[in-house]
Amino acid sequence: MISVKNVYKNFGKKGEIKVLAGTSCEIKKGEKVVILGPSGSGKSTLLRCMNLLEEPTYGEIWMEDKLLTPVDPYLHYDVIEASNTFKALLKNNETAKREDIILEIKQKDLLTNHEGREFRKQLKKIEEQYRIDINLARQNMGMVFQHFNLFNNLTVIQNLMLAPVQLKIMSKDEAKSKAMDLLRRIGLEDKADVYPSTLSGGQKQRIAIVRALAMNPKVMLFDEPTSALDPEMVGEVLDLMKELANEGMTMVVVTHEMGFAKEVADRILFMADGVIAEEAAPEEFFNNPKNPRLQQFLQKVL
Amino acid sequence: MPSYLAVYGVHMLFNDIITILTNKELVGYIFEGLINTLIITVIAALIGLFLGFVVAIVKISAEENKYMKIPSIICNIYTTVFRGTPVALQLFIMIFAVFAIPGFKPYAAILTFGINSGAYVSESIRAGIASVDKGQMEAGRAVGLSWNTTMIRIIMPQAIKNIIPAIGNEIIALLKETSIISMVGATVGTLTFDLNAASNTIYRQIPNFLASGLIVGCFYLAIVYFLTFVIKCIERRLRASDKR
Repeated sequence: MISVKNVYKNFGKKGEIKVLAGTSCEIKKGEKVVILGPSGSGKSTLLRCMNLLEEPTYGEIWMEDKLLTPVDPYLHYDVIEASNTFKALLKNNETAKREDIILEIKQKDLLTNHEGREFRKQLKKIEEQYRIDINLARQNMGMVFQHFNLFNNLTVIQNLMLAPVQLKIMSKDEAKSKAMDLLRRIGLEDKADVYPSTLSGGQKQRIAIVRALAMNPKVMLFDEPTSALDPEMVGEVLDLMKELANEGMTMVVVTHEMGFAKEVADRILFMADGVIAEEAAPEEFFNNPKNPRLQQFLQKVL
Repeated sequence: MPSYLAVYGVHMLFNDIITILTNKELVGYIFEGLINTLIITVIAALIGLFLGFVVAIVKISAEENKYMKIPSIICNIYTTVFRGTPVALQLFIMIFAVFAIPGFKPYAAILTFGINSGAYVSESIRAGIASVDKGQMEAGRAVGLSWNTTMIRIIMPQAIKNIIPAIGNEIIALLKETSIISMVGATVGTLTFDLNAASNTIYRQIPNFLASGLIVGCFYLAIVYFLTFVIKCIERRLRASDKR
């Protein structure tokens, strides 16, 4: 469903803050993946890279065989082979294997800005074949934020209807009946015509979840959905998420809720220092952690 | 130098005020000046709003769109220059150098006020947009809306609440600033005959600047008070979605 390929993300004017350092992972259809890790390990950034709210500095994001980011030449052998650097290296050392040269280029980051027309043509070919407009891709990825981010100037039902109607996916009537169905499902149909400022945190977050569902997404991304909630409201949001999981929704969840991870996740990714340090099913993850950083982390939180 | 009131006394001041207000010709000057001041302010404010809006949008979209970088630099120079120099100086340069066309003086003056005001308005609008929580744009983009759609449907309606009071302030300041126009030739053309110039004209007939000044001041005060009232009404309408 989503593939993250060797993604780097640097922040700051000169890219001096390195948050993701070559992360790769694969989210399969129907899978529930929970991302855990200490704060500052890059888990939120990884999630936000998946729908390009953060643009990766290097690397590629794919969704269902469609490329969301610009082409990263280092990930394509045929592109590297078309580069001037590759040709020059091959000329200098004719006995070397092509794979070895490619490996050398990748490891030493040898590609420059001047790699010739053939190289650019290869890049463009891949781009034309696979690249998809990000707004189109995002229609299939629901996102839930830590701070809800409901549209403050619209009523609850308008929040749910805005995207489907604006993007001409549904007619106004269709969108309205779908929105009412969703509100009924979370028991908030009486709140349809109020503004978000009148709602409690738990209500806001549940509405934020169904706002994403109103687009019929294929995958849902959750960015610490319960971290900004009062403790007594965490339950109602987690229950809704569990319901979604049971219905077979593909989910990627960044959270600190260990219980949720244990119960719902098919696979848990542990992030540390911008890379995925360990990746395992929940049982294995909690009972038999291998990475020392993970052992440390679990000692602190459990 | 002894003060005016010490020499002539308060009753002379009242005498002169009543003389002016009962003189049809002099009152006519005041109303002509009042209307011209309003016309100048309204046209300059419209130019300012239009310019300010365009400049603010260019500056904001430069963060997202790399093709807007150069226009954004031009806009930055514009706001820096026009906010950084006195409007009186701008007026002199525009009237006597840039638009030194006979008969064009009043229009050049209005244009100058408009351009000057645009620089302030653009900053008010930019700040208003920047004050909207970043999460709103992210949420809009995350459901698949484009930057433009999110800006129009989500960000602007929220920003406008913060922008209106600032723009109201700017229009009030502009209204009073237009009194500078009488410095650069109030007698040329009818439109430059503003409320402040009316005070000068009256002074030539009744040589009591305090009397004419106080009357004109009251008129300025009345317009500003009315404007404040209108802005408050608009604000109250816009705050509807904040009610708890």
